[in-house]
Amino acid sequence: MDVPFSAAANAYGAAQRLMGQAANPLQQDAKSPAQGGDFASLLSSGVGEVLATGREADQKAMEMVNGNANVIDVVTAISETEIALETLVTVRDKVISAYEEIMRMPI
Amino acid sequence: MSDFLTSLTIAAGGLHAQSARMRVIAENMANSDSAAKVPGGEPYRRRMPTFEAVFQREMGAYKVQVGRIAYDQSEFQSRYEPGRPAADERGYLLYPNVNPLIETMDMREAQRSYEANPNVVSVTRQMLGMTLDILRG
Repeated sequence: MDVPFSAAANAYGAAQRLMGQAANPLQQDAKSPAQGGDFASLLSSGVGEVLATGREADQKAMEMVNGNANVIDVVTAISETEIALETLVTVRDKVISAYEEIMRMPI
Repeated sequence: MSDFLTSLTIAAGGLHAQSARMRVIAENMANSDSAAKVPGGEPYRRRMPTFEAVFQREMGAYKVQVGRIAYDQSEFQSRYEPGRPAADERGYLLYPNVNPLIETMDMREAQRSYEANPNVVSVTRQMLGMTLDILRG
């Protein structure tokens, strides 16, 4: 079998380039963590929305205790908060389980 | 606003409307014996709620609202009670045009219409839950 003298050196060089390419995106990500903030912004806007509806529900409940608010309004506000929270929690669970699956991936 | 939240809001409007109707029925029932106070005066006149569909621009849907509460123009009942100071010279006293039977039927109707709205809410929530179950899978 005729193997050129430089074959081993070439293979080593190619492997090094591949490693370098694989490592570079990671370095870029580490330099700018704000670029990967899609899920963070989704979560924070979701939490903000839930918080706003929750505050409204709280206010309605307090008004009802003071005898100013209607029971229907209180129940509706609380149920809207519940729905928003449930949606947020479900989305969060799904994203976290996807993340865990990625972390379990054999490399 | 999503369609689900809109239907919840509209159903809540239905609850409001039926509770207002119930309030008017309570007025009629409670005042069914509120006779005239002076000879020739009018007793309590039966009231009837009216409902109207109001377009909500921000939701793009029609919501129910209680409109004017109309007065029932039917005749008052007249009872012979000569001993009463408010009775007229022939001894008759005017009583409200409230018929307890009609009020009871109205009340039952209000109850059923009210009941329908929480059903809308619970089915809407079930559908929302089913949608979220896709993610839970």
